[in-house]
Amino acid sequence: MDHELILLIIVVVTALAFDFTNGFHDTANVVATSISTRAMAPNIAVGYAAVLNFVGAFLSVKVAATIANGIVEANLITEQVVFGGLIGAIAWNLVTWYFGLPSSSSHALIGGVVGAAFAARGADAVIGSGLLGKVIVPALVAPVLAFVVAGGAITVIYRVVGRLRPGPTSRGFKVGQILSGGLLALAHGTNDAQKTMGIITLALITADKLKVDSDPPFWVIAASATAISLGTYMGGWRIIKTMGSRILKMDTAQGFAAQGSGAAVILASTHVGFPLSTTHTISGGVMGAGAAKRVSAVRWGVAGSIVVAWVLTLPAAALIGASTYGFTRIFGTGVAGPLVAFVLIIGVIAVVFARRVAQGSAITAATEG
Amino acid sequence: MTALAEKVVDWGQLLEVAWTSILGGVGVTAVFAVALYGAVKTMDTRRGGQGAIVVAYGVMTVLASSAVLASVVFAILTIKTK
Repeated sequence: MDHELILLIIVVVTALAFDFTNGFHDTANVVATSISTRAMAPNIAVGYAAVLNFVGAFLSVKVAATIANGIVEANLITEQVVFGGLIGAIAWNLVTWYFGLPSSSSHALIGGVVGAAFAARGADAVIGSGLLGKVIVPALVAPVLAFVVAGGAITVIYRVVGRLRPGPTSRGFKVGQILSGGLLALAHGTNDAQKTMGIITLALITADKLKVDSDPPFWVIAASATAISLGTYMGGWRIIKTMGSRILKMDTAQGFAAQGSGAAVILASTHVGFPLSTTHTISGGVMGAGAAKRVSAVRWGVAGSIVVAWVLTLPAAALIGASTYGFTRIFGTGVAGPLVAFVLIIGVIAVVFARRVAQGSAITAATEG
Repeated sequence: MTALAEKVVDWGQLLEVAWTSILGGVGVTAVFAVALYGAVKTMDTRRGGQGAIVVAYGVMTVLASSAVLASVVFAILTIKTK
């Protein structure tokens, strides 16, 4: 087997590993409020989200290959840079999962690629205006907009249903949560699986296995859909707990307002073509639905920790991406560097993951279902 | 500074995202709440045997539910085409 092919396989496997962590990390966006309000049992909720993530990945391939487009100089991207970026994103996703903090997987990936590209070619490789306009401004807009929309939504909802009998009203909002959660899972599967499809397609084009401007082959779509849905099914329970109950103890109306508003904001941004992070949007929605009822209902300390994680995501993933790229270059430009880094990182992840899993889930069907 | 801000951020697009989000988020959740209101009231008034009011609440529920379902279909089409 030639070195180019081994390098291609490493990049493809690493991209699928990122896709898995993306699903694993972002399960909370879709299911946390439904689990918290008991609209769905935990295992049913993650199964539902996993299936719809899988279906969503097949709905469109229109934005595949656009990751980091306009943010780093595309002609400077090599497989080693992509590898460094992926490792930066995976590592940051695992760090934030370890601490139960919801952060954007897309920002982690962009940060990782920017860091690796910077380490490879210096500041000229990074398009500052693209980074500001496509990442930083949307990162500020998403939570604020979702906060305002969810706050408005819950205020109107309480006005409309405030005097109704609580039993059937609560059951009705649970149905609404299942519906809005399904839309979020579909949108997440479509948007996020396409990033992995784009990276694998780019690697295949770089290795002359595909023509330039090709759509992702079917096996790439199927593998990306499977990886993100498997990750979703595994469920990042620590983040689910943070999003579902540590920020705010919510009722079914608040859960529906947070999730429905989050879905509306994400779909509006998709419709207009303005990229917003699912994680930032849903987190903002949860806080807005809580604060509109009573400002002190939101645990602002937890919210502050989440915001710190958001601020750190780009630089931390960039630092890890740059370090990984630097490490691989110690072994030259061939396959040896990524291979050694890949084996080392798999070992570290396996140890950390096993330790955390051994400590048990943060939420179980018995406690929450 | 202003020129830089205009170059980096598409303010028109941002404004469009803001108003469509508010319309979709507050609007659709409010219509869902109206559907729920209608459904619960239909159940309550049916028990009281108030025929005309039952029909009125029933119509309200059907119309509001249809609007919510239409927005779900629109959302799926948006996901598929964008």
